[in-house]
Amino acid sequence: MIFFNNKTKKSSSGTLGKVNVSFCLSRKNAWLLWLCQCLNIAVIALELSTWMLAIISLSLAWQALLLHNSRDRVKTRKKVSTVKHLSQRQHNHHKKQQASIVSPIILGIFALLGCIAIAITAKEVGILASMVHLLCFSYVLKAFELKARRDFYQLLLLGLFVLASSLIFRQDLVFSFITLILLVINLSVLLHFFSSEKTFASNIKVMTVILGQSAILAVVLFLVFPRLSPFWQMPRAKSAETGLSDTVKPGDIANLSRSTKLAFRADFGQQAIPNYSQLYWRAMVLEDFDGRQWTRIKAAPKNSAKASASNTFSVNLNGSDIVPLNYQITVEPSFQKYLFALAPAIASNEGNDIRAKSDYTLMSSKIITQAKSYQLSSFLSLPLALELSEHSRTVNLHYPEGSNPRLEQMALQLQHNYPEPQARAQAVLSRINQQNYSYTLQPPLLINNSLDQFFFDTQAGFCVHYASAFTFIMRASGIPARLVTGYLGGEFNGTNTGDKLSDKGHLSIYQYDAHAWSEIWVQGKGWVRVDPTGAVDPERVNSGWSNELLQQQSNLNNELFSLYQLKNIALLNILRLQFDILDYQWTKWVIGFNSKQQYNLLKHWFGKMASWKFALIIAIALVISMVMLMLFLHLLNRSKSKKKPLAKWQLVYQKSLGQLAKQGIVKPAAMTVNNFSKQVREQYPELAIVFTRLSVSYNRLCYQTLAKDEQLKLTLTMQQQYQDFCQTLKKQP
Amino acid sequence: MPQTPNIVDTVQASQQSITAILNKIESVVLGKPKECRLALACLLAQGHLLIEDLPGMGKTTLAHVLATTLGLSYQRTQFTNDLLPADVVGFSIFDKESNRFELHKGPIFNQVVLADEINRASPKTQSALLEAMAEQQVSIDGITHELPLPFFVIATQNPLFHAGTYPLPESQLDRFMMRLSLGFPDLKAEKKILLNTAQRTNQTTRDNTAANGGVIEQEELIAMQDAVTQINVSNDVIEYIIALSHVSRRAYSSHSNVTHSTQTNTQVNDAEINCKPLSPRASKALLQAAKAMAFIDNRDYVLPDDVQAVFYVVCQHRLEMQPSQQLGASHINDNSVANQILKSVDVLNPLGHS
Repeated sequence: MIFFNNKTKKSSSGTLGKVNVSFCLSRKNAWLLWLCQCLNIAVIALELSTWMLAIISLSLAWQALLLHNSRDRVKTRKKVSTVKHLSQRQHNHHKKQQASIVSPIILGIFALLGCIAIAITAKEVGILASMVHLLCFSYVLKAFELKARRDFYQLLLLGLFVLASSLIFRQDLVFSFITLILLVINLSVLLHFFSSEKTFASNIKVMTVILGQSAILAVVLFLVFPRLSPFWQMPRAKSAETGLSDTVKPGDIANLSRSTKLAFRADFGQQAIPNYSQLYWRAMVLEDFDGRQWTRIKAAPKNSAKASASNTFSVNLNGSDIVPLNYQITVEPSFQKYLFALAPAIASNEGNDIRAKSDYTLMSSKIITQAKSYQLSSFLSLPLALELSEHSRTVNLHYPEGSNPRLEQMALQLQHNYPEPQARAQAVLSRINQQNYSYTLQPPLLINNSLDQFFFDTQAGFCVHYASAFTFIMRASGIPARLVTGYLGGEFNGTNTGDKLSDKGHLSIYQYDAHAWSEIWVQGKGWVRVDPTGAVDPERVNSGWSNELLQQQSNLNNELFSLYQLKNIALLNILRLQFDILDYQWTKWVIGFNSKQQYNLLKHWFGKMASWKFALIIAIALVISMVMLMLFLHLLNRSKSKKKPLAKWQLVYQKSLGQLAKQGIVKPAAMTVNNFSKQVREQYPELAIVFTRLSVSYNRLCYQTLAKDEQLKLTLTMQQQYQDFCQTLKKQP
Repeated sequence: MPQTPNIVDTVQASQQSITAILNKIESVVLGKPKECRLALACLLAQGHLLIEDLPGMGKTTLAHVLATTLGLSYQRTQFTNDLLPADVVGFSIFDKESNRFELHKGPIFNQVVLADEINRASPKTQSALLEAMAEQQVSIDGITHELPLPFFVIATQNPLFHAGTYPLPESQLDRFMMRLSLGFPDLKAEKKILLNTAQRTNQTTRDNTAANGGVIEQEELIAMQDAVTQINVSNDVIEYIIALSHVSRRAYSSHSNVTHSTQTNTQVNDAEINCKPLSPRASKALLQAAKAMAFIDNRDYVLPDDVQAVFYVVCQHRLEMQPSQQLGASHINDNSVANQILKSVDVLNPLGHS
């Protein structure tokens, strides 16, 4: 910014009238700038509220109209009078200028109204979003007052800010790539302003090359620049993200299943990936049911938390002979706190940021706004919570009585018929399996989310329907049961060698893998997972989505490239999987590169050291690189203008000129030395003799061809004359 | 440098003659010392001289006195609109006695050719002078004839708005090293002129000039011209001249090659000066004229002052977009293109080194 300002200041002081009065973009440049604005806004459009988008599109349309009109005007002018000379053209320019400038009063009022609107809505949308609104608003309005080159620079810079701020909200590979392309376009518009005689395409090429060269610097800064947490932090974007929520109604997850967004990835390294039906990624346990929806219990009593904490520990100690399953999970920003794990699991880097909860779920201490990685060890064969506290027993047996009378009645009957809990559960599952239940993404609407209606009348639903109905029946029949939400399965991506043990790659779990299932507590076995979905659609549980469901999904989504179509075309599917690998690497190495990994990397390079040493090294490296940069720029400048060293006499003469300037006599640049000494003689007769002598010596040194020794002598004389000159000047009042 | 003492001596030795010549000229062309010096500088720099002014301002007198003072053969030719090229350069005529063609040399076969009112002749005739001025030779009927050396064309012309004038083609205008304009004499000079005329009412100009005779010999003039070419020019002065010509070319070069011309340190920055670009011939003429000025000033090195002194007369007629249409336009005024260019270049740092 400062750099640009300086530049404009310099140029505007030099060519004062020219730049300020008749700054005018050429038509092509103006349109390019407009297009560039549209693109920049488009990138961030998703984050803007509708009214702001309306204002922005209105402004852009207005801008386009103005540009279009100015073209017409020039055209008609050309038709009417053949353009003869410069003056005529300037006149045209002037007209054009007038046409494209809106009265500043109107603009000001507009801006004020917009700011008030933003301020009013600020509470609703949050401080970050309102700041983004303000940025976009000013970005669009600035285009109306391009009066000087400075304004043009400001507009471009604002554009870059808009681009950068769009990265707050999304950081995946595609989006980053798009942003990069837009950056090139933005800078090319700037370049095009200066070299408009070249085609825009060639300017883009030049800009790409320049950016490519500067990428080295970017990489170095990326690796070594200190990520000090107060400064190096992404603003927290509060955004309506798709994902699991801590209240679930029947029918909720069906909406989620339309989303093909990535939820998280799991990397098992060299280990074998468990079977699909084992991959129940646990996210949340919902224990509170009010007859309509399931809710997570906010604050568990302290003592039970303690008890469960000791539980998890004992699990680890007991299971020391069982080989744990180690894997790494990289979560996409979900703007929630829950994390995913194959229960029971312990996080190896468990510390301040990951908490294990009593229900075997993991929680992050902060809201996940950026991709986050953590290492887990799971003991899949171990039972969960062999002992059930009194508190959780009551919680998990509670149901609002009378909310679903038919189910309750059935539960009582089951309780009577099957005293064994697991047999009871099996009975329900076989009923689901044998009767005409269907698994569908488009369940019929239920009145008041009634489970009765689902279980006995419509008999069509999604995982949540089945899981909640099942859990309800279990509770009603006296078995502690709860609803668990999370994800099921995942898509394997990597080299599949056939031999399961040497598979290498990762699992990608998407939002459409979201799932809900039940857990019942059985004496001696702990919490046992029961998935009623398996009873109605075994394929879903064993290998993923059936074709029928995929078809349904693609119909629902109405997208051109839906998942169904993608999965059906082999080539596209391969491409998609390849891209997924790339995106995974991007997330893992670039976005996930936090201060810890930076520290590890540096440790890897330099060995183990105290962190203050690291800070010192980084600081020194920064200083050195800055110095190098300055040096480089300096050399660049020098080679450009071939700086001519000033000779001694030139320095002396310049000094004397400076002295005179203090007295108020300034030598016009175009005036020769002799003429100037004449002028001095007229204005300061006292100085006449000394200064004339000095001038004569200067002239001789500068223009006469002298021998070396002669030159030396004369230089000395001139210095003496300068001393005299200074003394005479001092005597002056 | 080995020839430095040599040139210093020559310059010093010539001073007497120069003062004598100047005195002589100034005694005839009254009240115009500056113009007289410029005219002399032009001839010392081996350039041709164009004098433009209203009728009766002393153009012809100046041309006349220059020729005579320098001791050169001269002939005056009055250019009219029906003058043919053959009338200037000469023609072959069949001699009955010797039975062969004999060359009748035209007035151009003189050391000083006084082309009076050159812009009254048709362009064809004007162009007849071209070869002579550039190569110092003429071709008649396919035979090339060398012209006597030193060779000068001193032309006079009336302002273009006068009736029956043809503007000189640019190519020819470019061949004149200087274009001088005398302007009205001041009060004192005019009084003197009138008194002088009264004194010699019955004397013709011819008597007058004949009585004056030459001050120097031809050989001395050639020696002086040689000395002028040997005047030292420092790098700074060369750069100054380059910078000046670059400023005039800016409008042309800004499209293709911005690198250098933008670096000339300028005060009137980007404000474009509306002019024709100066050719390298022009910068050569400028340098040569500056050298001659330095010679006349008794210096063996050129100062930017010399360049500034001759810049207007050397360059203005090459810079003007349109020939001056107004009375007195050829007089130095502050708004002239040449002065704008002068003002835009820093004397101490012409090429904008910083």
